[in-house]
Amino acid sequence: MKKITNLKEFACTPDRFLGGHRLCPGCAHSMIVREVVNATDDDLVVSTATGCLEVCSAIYPYTSWDVSWIHIGFENAAAAISGAEAMHKALKRKGKLYTDRPVKFVAFGGDGGTYDIGFQALSGATERGHDFLYVCLDNEGYMNTGGQRSSSTPIGAHTTTSPRGRVSYGEKQKKKDITMIMAAHGSPYVATACPSYWKDLAVKAQKALETEGPTFINALSPCTTEWKFKPEETVRIGELAVESCAFPLYEIENGTKLRITYRPKKKIPVKEYLGAQGRFSHLFKKGNEWILDLWQKQVDEYWDYLQRREECGV
Amino acid sequence: MATPKEMLTTWDKIQFGAVLPSFEDPKTKKRSKFHSYNYKVADWRVEKPVFNPDLCINCDFCWVWCPDSCILVEEVTTKRGKKQAKMVGIDYDHCKGCGVCVDVCPTPIKSLLMFPEHTPIEEALAQWPKKEDKKKD
Amino acid sequence: MAEKYQLKKTEVWDGNMAAAHALRQAQVDVVAAYPITPSTPIVQNYAQFLADGYIDGEFVMVESEHSAMSACVGASAAGGRVATATSSQGYALMVEVLYQASGMRLPIVMTVVNRALASPLNIHGDHSDLYLGRDAGWIHLICNNPQEAYDLTLCAFKIAEDERVRLPVTTNQDGFLVSHTAQVVHPLDDDTAYKFIGDYKPLNPMLDTENPVTYGAQTEEEWHFEHKANQHKAIMDSFPVIEEVFQQFKDLTGREYKTIETYKMDDAEIALIVMGSTYETAMVAVDEARKKGIKVGVVMPRVFRPFPYNQLAEILKNVKAIATLDRSAPMGTTGALYNETAGALMANGQSAILTNYIYGLGGRDTTVEHLLQVIEETQQNAEAGKRVTPLQGFINLRGPKLSFN
Ligand code: SF4
Ligand code: SF4
Repeated sequence: MKKITNLKEFACTPDRFLGGHRLCPGCAHSMIVREVVNATDDDLVVSTATGCLEVCSAIYPYTSWDVSWIHIGFENAAAAISGAEAMHKALKRKGKLYTDRPVKFVAFGGDGGTYDIGFQALSGATERGHDFLYVCLDNEGYMNTGGQRSSSTPIGAHTTTSPRGRVSYGEKQKKKDITMIMAAHGSPYVATACPSYWKDLAVKAQKALETEGPTFINALSPCTTEWKFKPEETVRIGELAVESCAFPLYEIENGTKLRITYRPKKKIPVKEYLGAQGRFSHLFKKGNEWILDLWQKQVDEYWDYLQRREECGV
Repeated sequence: MATPKEMLTTWDKIQFGAVLPSFEDPKTKKRSKFHSYNYKVADWRVEKPVFNPDLCINCDFCWVWCPDSCILVEEVTTKRGKKQAKMVGIDYDHCKGCGVCVDVCPTPIKSLLMFPEHTPIEEALAQWPKKEDKKKD
Repeated sequence: MAEKYQLKKTEVWDGNMAAAHALRQAQVDVVAAYPITPSTPIVQNYAQFLADGYIDGEFVMVESEHSAMSACVGASAAGGRVATATSSQGYALMVEVLYQASGMRLPIVMTVVNRALASPLNIHGDHSDLYLGRDAGWIHLICNNPQEAYDLTLCAFKIAEDERVRLPVTTNQDGFLVSHTAQVVHPLDDDTAYKFIGDYKPLNPMLDTENPVTYGAQTEEEWHFEHKANQHKAIMDSFPVIEEVFQQFKDLTGREYKTIETYKMDDAEIALIVMGSTYETAMVAVDEARKKGIKVGVVMPRVFRPFPYNQLAEILKNVKAIATLDRSAPMGTTGALYNETAGALMANGQSAILTNYIYGLGGRDTTVEHLLQVIEETQQNAEAGKRVTPLQGFINLRGPKLSFN
């Protein structure tokens, strides 16, 4: 197993996701992908759901991948990787593998491809116990098609299908809690992560890959284009999300043992996170104070809940 | 680097099943012409990051967060026998000028700074803020 | 190692059992499937073979047909032999991925037990699902009884995996009429069957991770057309390979298959064109009609895609009137077989009086009597030298006569 101790050493890893892709400048997707694929020295077979990562990393006649990669559709990244993993098992049993090197299976999907249209395939593949890691690149909306809402879009966010308007404050629903849903599958390992905390993410990816069975990481992917912040701020926005506990970092083993993996030294008000993004700017207008209050309340309650769970060892 | 135009082929010569091999020679890991590594995105840039090796502490923050995998590092071995990555420069073929590397660079005076695309490197380095400038503000 | 299954020289199998045994003998590496009537027994039988130690491969019981085909694509691209089975709504749910499988040139074999499409819901046989997959880039073979379902499923692997083809193949059998009707089948023993198909020949396997490949790249306007044209050529060029495989199968078993099957067409003046198990009913009707002196024959495209249009025209060279029978509601035009036949004739400078009948939807019976009626009407057209019966009629439909001109 590869040792991930410090960045100086980690940075010696030859990249397996290369430049020349067409993701937006400052895109967090590729930060996440690199932190995941570089977390292991094992060979990889990767499937990717339709979305920003897919359309930007395999635009014919170019691929950005130094690992085997497949994209089929929007809703079936998990099903595709389960097929590839099954083939690996079958060929191994029959002594027909192409290489002796260890191979790991990873699926990437955006929140659209994970929370929404791809959820059935993900739930099925997880329940069947395939040995793979599913990483959700959670940018809280359908950003590849110009920023429509998904079930991951948080309350109050402006998207093109939950727009702010004369009588609307944007998205009305709470963000779906996908990580807990995946934990409820009894998956041996699920976690949240944020690329701004590179080691937390890389170690989680490694843990997930080393765990036999279906594992899941929901990685927050701050989106410069649709969250409306400057491209150079991506890492900082991720930090604000975590330091405010709007996106807490934790892991759950076997659906029953929760551990908070990062505890902000001083929890910052969620306003600072929301205020840094254009998609929430309308919340700071007169009359919308209650949404900011609601946000803070929800964040506090959830953070409390996580801490209580951790204390009780469940 | 073959441009997309040079890559255009006819229906009878096109890649079977649109399958793209990453490597031309997997043994030596020579990347194939189908690898985006052979595709330039330099023209996306308005500003470019310039690297000042004199200030760099080789923390590799820029490496881990560059979304375009274009922080060039060299593996070196420290006196204590540990291997570590030394930041050596920027791959300007793939840098999109997002500025993340500058943002995350932790040195008191940044070791990376954005300059207008056409500023020559020497000129950029000559303009680098000095310690004294820092104190003033 | 999987146990060998001791088969008798003759077995009594329904179409589902026949297809399941063919999958078993092909030593498929991954079967990913979801049960749906009337193809469920294929999946059940296969599960039982696995439970009894007759299978080494992986059997993935997915949560939907969409995932079934998606897992098949993932598995096939990974680099091994892959098969599945489905019907009707399940087939419909797969359609998106059927196009992906053929576009990536993955030699997946799917045994389809043909069934109607809702709404209204119906579990019985017709060709709505087959027609839905018409343009999906798969080779479609038609099987009219359990023996054919067995034989052609073996052939399907050999055709699909041939390096000159590398396309997915379906073998189709009529729901219940074939899938659930037990008949005598002469199987091959396991070794002979496997030897006939041969070992899987990998091409760009993802699991060769030292030589990574990217599947499913996005091809925009500068590329897409060339890819699709290339794929179309592959399926058009598969005819000789299909014929070659049929010939090898005949050499091995004595059982002969042709891209178009014909019955009493040599001297026929009128012809029926039909696909599926109704072909067998039509043969009986032809014999009956001939007793009355009507020179009629029947034609069945064994291969629906690629469509053997020039061969069909050749067979129809001397006929005066033709009735094409489609077992699917064309919803707003003439049926697919009508259109294919008209095109085949026109393309070869031929003409004949051509009518279309819709029959058997949702498992509705089509008897010898019904077909004799069709033969009689077609004969009227032939004798009149022009069409005197409706362009499109409906067989065994209750209520006032429905027809279109
Ligand atoms: S500007 Fe952006 S793309 Fe260029 S080197 Fe810095 S982080 Fe990488
Ligand atoms: S972030 Fe700055 S100090 Fe750290 S390696 Fe990069 S240039 Fe050097």
